[in-house]
Amino acid sequence: MSGAVTNRVLLAVALALAAVYLFPLYWMYVTSLKTQSSIFAVPPEFLPGAPQWDNYATIWEVANILRYIGNSLVIASGVTLITALVGSGCAYVLARYRNGWIDAALFAVLMLQVLPPSLMVTPIFVGFASVGLLEYPRFATILAFSAKTMPFFVILCRAAFMTVPRELEEAALVDGNSRIGAFFMIVLPLARNGLLISALLVFMNGFGEYVYSASIIADNRLQPASIGMTNFLQPNVVNWNAIMAFAATYVTPILAAFVLLQRQIVNGLTAGALK
Amino acid sequence: MTRILRSLRDGIGFDVLLVIIALSYLLVFAGLPLIYNVIISFQTVDVFSLGTLWHPNAGFDNYRAIFDDPLAGRVLWQTIVFTLGSVALQFTFGFALALFFHQNFTGATWIRGLFLAAWVMPGLVVGVLWNWLLSGDFGVINHLLESLGLIEDPVFWRSNVETSLYAVLIANIWYGTPFNMILLAVGLAAIPGDLYEAAELDGANAFQRFWTITLPMMRATIGAVLALGIIFTLQQFDLFAAITQGGPAGSSTVAQYWSWQLSFREFDFGRGAVISVLMIIVVLFVSLIYVRSTKAETQL
Amino acid sequence: MTYQIELDRVEKHYGRFHALKEISLAIPKGQFVALVGPSGCGKSTLLRSIAGLERITSGTLRIAGEPVDDLPPRKRDLAMVFQSYALYPHMSVRDNLTYALRLKGVSRAERARRAEEVAAVIGLETLLDRRPRELSGGQRQRVAMGRAIIRQPRAFLFDEPLSNLDAALRVRMRKEVRALHDRIGATSVYVTHDQIEAMTMADHVVVLQAGRIEQQGTPVALYDRPANRFVAGFIGSPAMNFIPGVIAGDGRAVRLALPGNPMLETTIAGTPGLQVEVGIRPEHMVLGSPDAPDALPLVVNAVETTGAASYLFTEGEPELIVTTEGTATIRAGDTIGVSVDPARVHLFEPETGASLRSASL
Ligand SMILES: Nc1ncnc2c1ncn2[C@@H]1O[C@H](COP(=O)(O)OP(=O)(O)O)[C@@H](O)[C@H]1O
Ligand SMILES: [Mg+2]
Repeated sequence: MSGAVTNRVLLAVALALAAVYLFPLYWMYVTSLKTQSSIFAVPPEFLPGAPQWDNYATIWEVANILRYIGNSLVIASGVTLITALVGSGCAYVLARYRNGWIDAALFAVLMLQVLPPSLMVTPIFVGFASVGLLEYPRFATILAFSAKTMPFFVILCRAAFMTVPRELEEAALVDGNSRIGAFFMIVLPLARNGLLISALLVFMNGFGEYVYSASIIADNRLQPASIGMTNFLQPNVVNWNAIMAFAATYVTPILAAFVLLQRQIVNGLTAGALK
Repeated sequence: MTRILRSLRDGIGFDVLLVIIALSYLLVFAGLPLIYNVIISFQTVDVFSLGTLWHPNAGFDNYRAIFDDPLAGRVLWQTIVFTLGSVALQFTFGFALALFFHQNFTGATWIRGLFLAAWVMPGLVVGVLWNWLLSGDFGVINHLLESLGLIEDPVFWRSNVETSLYAVLIANIWYGTPFNMILLAVGLAAIPGDLYEAAELDGANAFQRFWTITLPMMRATIGAVLALGIIFTLQQFDLFAAITQGGPAGSSTVAQYWSWQLSFREFDFGRGAVISVLMIIVVLFVSLIYVRSTKAETQL
Repeated sequence: MTYQIELDRVEKHYGRFHALKEISLAIPKGQFVALVGPSGCGKSTLLRSIAGLERITSGTLRIAGEPVDDLPPRKRDLAMVFQSYALYPHMSVRDNLTYALRLKGVSRAERARRAEEVAAVIGLETLLDRRPRELSGGQRQRVAMGRAIIRQPRAFLFDEPLSNLDAALRVRMRKEVRALHDRIGATSVYVTHDQIEAMTMADHVVVLQAGRIEQQGTPVALYDRPANRFVAGFIGSPAMNFIPGVIAGDGRAVRLALPGNPMLETTIAGTPGLQVEVGIRPEHMVLGSPDAPDALPLVVNAVETTGAASYLFTEGEPELIVTTEGTATIRAGDTIGVSVDPARVHLFEPETGASLRSASL
């Protein structure tokens, strides 16, 4: 078999695999555009008929999706802000030095990264209840979830900071910078891409957060889109077209960001995960 | 005072400050809850005593209640099945895909990247999506299985006690496979190509090359991927919430979901904390092994 | 006299590791000092301690008479050229050059003027708007130099600045760096592991080994009167030959542990019967007839030639190297006679490695 033929066969197989794998996403979009009767057609209709944009209007009006997504944005922004502000400096120091103290700190961070949120939320909720933080449920959620994203962010950013040669910072010190000056003028600009990707991943995480919100935020008006979806799911369990329209509206921005930044996201992730 | 300021500007104080800020945050919002968790597992915490820092002492009552609960054995077994099943199948599919995309063909990297689209989605959306895909009467999965002749009658994946755990398991395998694949792909890419060339010159066929070069060279990566797989699977919550909510009759409840249900559905935080404490010990133990082993590898 | 840089019994520990031991060094204004030694001996540590990038554990460090132990790098007013050049990749050549001036608050117009001026000195006028990654290795090296020059600092610190260049460029830059130093009347501390660089460039050479100063002095002094076996072996290329021997006769000759136990005259007085290590530089072994009365008879094992000089390697232990000019007609297996000027013979204490010359002087 010649090289070109092999190449084409492999490409065809790869595309077939990707198609099978991504079929659920396709099904989400197709369902979201179907009529109520055609979602229950037997056999299922694999190609959409006339697109029912009404489904999107429904979730806009009935399901309050705008409010939910607004809350998700608030939570994601708050989490990203706290995580990046508090975590970047720590990641920088952990990347700069190699000694017993640093190893211990790194170990602590790694250990905190693995704690399952659904297990941590019990003591956090009880603790927050006793100090009155539950009065500000979104803020409480942001505080709690930031502790979950921070270790992850620190590990990823550390990998980004490690790519900045130490000598550059030293040259800046000799040239007249203070530590803070060298950090902001030399190190940060050079690690910027890695930091932004890490922050984006944290933002996506915050945007899709569910456990903490579901446990802490009781007021419907403050809940994020993840809960909005489950709220919508229970009473409307036959409206799969509307539910899929909700899901599609919710994830399309994330998927778009992913498609645009695929390479950087994959690189950032793999750099942090195995080192 | 000026000394400290000077150290902050020009010396080690700058580094210490940066680390202390982050570690204090983690201490308050992760470290203290860890300890508080142990404390409340020995207390009676319900809607009435909630709101105070200290609750009535319960001794070992919560622990006894959990161990005596008829659900406990089932949950333990279901947790094991779910975790090992997820890890084994995510790994197998992930490794197969990684090996496939490791061959050089046009677009390999780009198509491989598409798989990660699933991985960046919120777990809850994935859960809702699979909820629909696996629905009994109108689910597209049942239709496909029927037209392939694999089943005769629709399977009520989510509402049948026999299959509900597998409904979540299937979704989780789909969700976790790409991450396994990408980590394994990185490991494969790190194997120097000339090793394969040397083996080929020595007369090894593709199968022998896989056993004598790929697998041994991938040992560290495989260990890391399996450990991370266990850790991430024990964190899985959203899929349960979106597909079965642990039911029916607890048939798809795993430990991390049970703990949450006890706390936030039955408002028995003491018992929720008991499971939380026990599971966190397991997770930390697995991570400890993982961190120790990766450290040993990097020091080689 | 106040020195531009002055170190007094400086010590540096990294945890339990003792990196610098009792370093005392005084550098007058305008001098070009080379720190030389094998890799890992502490050269960079010493230079970085001067720059303030490392804190010294004890001792004092003065710059222009002022103690600077507690001053951060930015207040020491020194410029440093790194081995990797450490050019800021996100800035143009112009911004790299003027970064320190910008931090000092020098006006934009003045910065532009000085950038042009320095660019002319280092020959980079046309490259001011490029990024470092668009430059060749040699050009980057020049930018690194320019970034140091523009500041008019109290001293220049160089950490192996030429070691990433190819051999020909390195030889050229050696002269250029030194010429630049003379032109701007700078004080320079130059770290290198290459003794030829140190010997050709410096006024004053400091030989370091395992964190300790083995010897310091002018290049010629180090070559002619090495204080110990380490310095003798380190300075000079090919390295000095060492032969075990015993002081014989009236104390003005050594009996060498070579086949036939030949005698060698020296100008150094010693106690007869004393075990010594005899050092002779390859270029001081003069070829003659094997039958001449004072000649050491040696059998050649291998011959290497560079065209300008040939190196004869002898048979047996220890292997000796003899340098002769031009292309040698001698082949492996030939027997040669070698004579040595008694004044060129070095004797070392076998245990401590100390030169016996200082004892007798
Ligand atoms: N930060 C450090 N921590 C511990 N040991 C160090 C550190 N920096 C350098 N050393 C050790 O100090 C010795 C001298 O290093 P260095 O000054 O870089 O040598 P060189 O003469 O090659 O420039 C080496 O053995 C090195 O391992
Ligand atoms: Mg060095």
